[in-house]
Order: sequence, then C-alpha cells, then structure tokens
Amino acid sequence: MADTAAVHGHDHDHGHDHGHDHHQRHDPARDDPAIRAHAIAFAYDGSPAVAGISFEVQPGEVLGFLGPNGAGKSTTIKMLTGQLVPDAGTIEVLGMGMPKRRNEVQARMGVVFEEKNLYEEMTGIANLRFFAELFGTEVDTDALLERVDLRDRGEDRVADYSKGMRQRLMVARALVNRPDVLFLDEPTDGLDPVSARAVRELIRDEARRGAAVVLTTHDMHEADDLSDRVAFIDEGRVIAMDTPESLKLEYGQRSVRVRRRVGDAVEEEVIGLDDDGAADRVRDAVAREGLLTVHTDEATLEDIFVQLAGRGLV
Amino acid sequence: MNGRVVWAILKKDLWAFSRDRLWMTLTVIGIAFYVIVYWLLPDTVDESLKLGLHAPGLEDVLGTALAGAPEQGLAVTTFSTEEALASALEAGDGDLVAGLAIPEGFIADVRAGARPVVTLYVPGEAPAEVRDAIGGFASELAFAIAGTPPPADVPGLTEVVVGRDRAGDQVTLRESFRPIFVFFALMIEVFALAALVAGEISRRTVVALLVTPARLVDFLAAKTILGTLLAFAEAVLLMALLDVLGVGTGPLLVTLLLGSVLVTGIGLLAGSSGKDFLGIIFYAMAFVLPLAVPAFAVLFPGTAAAWVRMLPTYGLVNAIVGITTEGAGFGDIAGDLAALVVWCFVSLAIGLLVLRRKVATL
Repeated sequence: MADTAAVHGHDHDHGHDHGHDHHQRHDPARDDPAIRAHAIAFAYDGSPAVAGISFEVQPGEVLGFLGPNGAGKSTTIKMLTGQLVPDAGTIEVLGMGMPKRRNEVQARMGVVFEEKNLYEEMTGIANLRFFAELFGTEVDTDALLERVDLRDRGEDRVADYSKGMRQRLMVARALVNRPDVLFLDEPTDGLDPVSARAVRELIRDEARRGAAVVLTTHDMHEADDLSDRVAFIDEGRVIAMDTPESLKLEYGQRSVRVRRRVGDAVEEEVIGLDDDGAADRVRDAVAREGLLTVHTDEATLEDIFVQLAGRGLV
Repeated sequence: MNGRVVWAILKKDLWAFSRDRLWMTLTVIGIAFYVIVYWLLPDTVDESLKLGLHAPGLEDVLGTALAGAPEQGLAVTTFSTEEALASALEAGDGDLVAGLAIPEGFIADVRAGARPVVTLYVPGEAPAEVRDAIGGFASELAFAIAGTPPPADVPGLTEVVVGRDRAGDQVTLRESFRPIFVFFALMIEVFALAALVAGEISRRTVVALLVTPARLVDFLAAKTILGTLLAFAEAVLLMALLDVLGVGTGPLLVTLLLGSVLVTGIGLLAGSSGKDFLGIIFYAMAFVLPLAVPAFAVLFPGTAAAWVRMLPTYGLVNAIVGITTEGAGFGDIAGDLAALVVWCFVSLAIGLLVLRRKVATL
C-alpha cells in the first residue's frame, strides 16, 4: 500500500466493531479531516526520522501508529502537536496550518506524552487545575478524575502515585480542554490490564464524542482493539495503512487447523483457506474418524508487520 | 505574550517554591543567620592607637610629653619590665599595636653625647606601614624626652580631606559585611530558581506546557519574573531587618531590583546547564564564587583591583556601600547603576538564550 494513501470511508462492517458508534456521525463526504498530513519529513542532524508520510484522520476516528522503536512514530506526533517543525510537507489540524497557527490548534488539542511529565510535587487536582488555567477554561476535576478512577486520590501528591495512576492522570490532563484532536503516545504503557482497559474505554469515549485520535503503540492487540485504522511505520515511512480487518484480509493467511487421533498418535493438518479446493479439503478433514479439534487461524497485526517490514515490532 | 498564562505559571512556581523544603529552609536560615551575625558585629571602630611603654625613671617626663596623647587617639600602657611588655605584645593583651622600651638613664646618656638604643617591639603580623609609623613616633618621642629639637622642622602643613572625613567615624565591621549579606541573600535565590528551572527540564514538564496555549516566551517571562521577585523580596526583607531600608530608600530599591535581575539571569543559566542537584550546585557555584569577590573586597577598602571592578557584581556592591554607608543618592551611584543595567541585560540575555536552546532540544 502506498504510503501516501489515505483510506477513508472504510468498511466498518467487516466485523471490526469495537463498540464505536462514531461511523453514524462520521460522514467523510460531509466532514473535513481533523488532521491532514502531506508528505511530512523530519531529520535529526541529517538523519531522517520521518521520510514523507501522508495521512488524514477524520473527526471521531482513531488512527493507530504501529511500529518498532525509532520507526518515526513519536517524531510524527511531535510534528502534529507543534513540538517539531517539519523539514518538508504540510500539516493541517482542524483546518489550520501547522505550525503557522499552532496557538489556535494547541488550544484545541490534548496530548498524552510517553514520559510521565507531571508536576510531582502538586496534587492530581492541582495538576488538572493548572493546565485548565493555561487553556483558560474551567474544569470539573472530580468528574475528570472519576473518569480515570482517581477521584479518591485527587488530593494526593503525584509523587505518591503509582506508575499506572500517573499514566491515568496524564490522560485526564489531556482532556481538561475537551480537545477536538487527541494525541496519545503509548497511552497504556506500564498499565495493569484493568487500568489499560479503562484507558482504552476512555479513548473510545473521546472518539465517540467526536475527537480525532492519533495514538502510537507497540502493542498490536491495543492497536487492533482501539484503532479504526492502523498505519504501520518503519524507517520513517508508512508501509501500510488500513483498517485492521482489511490488513488481515489483504496480507494475512487464513487457515483451518484440524487435529485427529490416528492410532496412538495425534495428526495435525493445516488447510489454507485461500488455497484452491479449500472448502472440500476442510469438509473432508472434519468428516474423517478420530477428529479431536478444529481451529481457525488468523494473522495478527504483528504477523503482517513482520511480513511487510521483514522484522518484528520490538 | 499571554498575561493569563504567565500569571498561571508564576502562581504555580511560587506555590512550588513555597513547598520546596530545601530552598525555603535555606532561605529562612540564611536570612536569620545574616541578621543575627549582623547585629552581633561591632557597630563602632576603635580608632585609638594602643602603645606599650617601658621607660624606667621617665614617668614624670613622659607624663608631660604624652599629655595630649588621648585626645590624639594614642593610648599608652606602661610596663614595669621590658619582658612584661614583650609578653603582653606576644599574647595580644590590650590590643597593643607596638611597644617601646626606653633604656634606663636615657636622658643622661643623650646629654652625654651617647646614642642609647630604644627598642621597638612590634607583633609579627603588624604591617610595614605600622612599623614605620611607630618607628617615627618613637623618634619624635625620644627627641621630646631628651629635650632636643628635631633635626628638621616640618614646613607649614595644611590637611585637606578629600571626600567625607571619616576620622572618628570609620566604616564599621557591621557596615562592611552588609553587602556580603545582601549578595548571599540574592545568591540563595539563584540556587532556588535554578532548581525550579532544572526540574521543569529534567521532568520535561515544560514540554507539556508548550503544547497548550502557553508559548516559550510565556514560560521564559514567568521564570524571569519569578527569579526577580524572589531575589528582590528576600533582599528587601533582609535590608529591612538590617534596619537600613530607610537610608536612601529609592536608590537602594532600584539597586536591589537590578541586582535581582542580574542574579535571575545567572539562575536561568545554571538551571539550564545543570541536569541534577549536583549539576545545579556546580554551575551555580561556578558563577557565584567569582561574583562574590567584589562583596569581600569591601572589607578591604581601596584594594579592589581593576579586574574586580570589571565583575558584574561590583556595581551592585559599590552602590549598596555608597547608599547605606555614605548616604549616596542616584547621582552619586549613577555610574554603578549604569554598569549594573548593562550587566543585567547581558546576564538575562545569556540566561534566556541558553534556556531557550535547552527547551528547544527536549
């Protein structure tokens, strides 16, 4: 898939429904993209980190950037949030050019950083109030902390928070201004499974509200679970971008694994569903005597990434 | 610049400073220490010259010769033996600056044309000029005792005192230490500001600030105001506690404000350079130590070398001395203030530039 491809109006009926209902509201024909990046590039001291990436994100859509360390995910986020100025290409966020109209854009965006850059000597509530003041807005700290399950710890100093609590407060901080675009760099990094699930639900809620969400992650399950579309990034380029389901269909190998007992031994047969005569072979396999189990196999996003990039995500 | 954002950051920083136990403790202890030491230091200068004298058989003659000595600041203590005189000088008893031992039969020997030897005792640490002065005094005293006129008459002499005549009103140790205390009070805030700035950088909280409506200029402005405010408040408080705020209030406040801006630039620079607590201490000390030289030079009036006069804090110290000790006004310290303004710009420009570059690399 070309790295300049921007796939919109993708089929949400591929069975990839994460509980989003935003596609009822998200009409690509009507909505302008919340984020539009065209051929953006950035190099650190002459060493390219991002080499001509293009994509669009619609309001209410979650786009996940998936790639190994150093692939260019965080650099892309930094350009989108105005922390870095692209060496080449153009960025529009909410219809405004970046970095030219950075002030207006940043007033309407929320960012969760990979590092836990909170004011540790301040309480959770004080952190939220301070950032709300920077945005010039009022914030219902109780309600916000409730959403990240920190309401009973709001008066505690952040220095006394666990890693997971800090991460949840980071997410809450990114929401103080009810952002129209949300950038999350490894949002569930270091969280226990329960906290990670809560944060993912929060991200879905924000997308349902209409926020365009861009997240980076190492976690293929998270990308699969959260993202409407995923973009594989490797060596500063998008090597594939589509819905997780479409990627699996396009690049993955579907198969059925049939195990049966033959005498004292257990025999296993793998039948590729894309092979010629696959249906007949499956029928024959399950009809034979000694049938033990039948499993369907589907490619994971990591399998696809390995197939496309020739290396793993770590 | 966004005033609302600057105010929000400033409030947050003031709150953080008030909760920083280390710097709050150092600030309070520092001020208390300076104030206590200041009021314990002597506020007078003993200008009399204390001389030990052993002159057997010359008591009556000496009584006449030294009749006007106390009024001229000369205090004479007599010793019965030459050994007692030497011991007293060696032990530092009575703050004697020197001792004279005039031999028995001095007058008779002189009249007989002999050349009796008068022994001058001086402490080992006495400077050469004191030895010379006492030597001259001994000669004059010997001539007076012997009733012999001096070998040469001093021509008519008119004394002209340039500047304020401080005879009988010398600069006290308390006054001498005042600029030192002010300097160190300001410098504590260099460390406090540096710690705050370094914290924003090392924890990368400044990165979180800069993806909100807060701009880098707002961040820099807030830190500059914070540093200046803290240093100025502490310096003014200290001056009030030292009871000198009423002396030349206007010039003093302007001088302290400029001094606060000067140290703020240094604080920003140290905070941007140091990665951790030790780094901050290292960089801050690297600036503070040379800048402290002018403050200590006040203890030895007239000794400031040309390079000391070139240091950024020289104008600050000189102006404080001028205002609080000499009663100087704006006109008298204009040169010092002008130099201070230039150094404020230089210090702040370098501090802000380095901090700006540091933040840009995060």
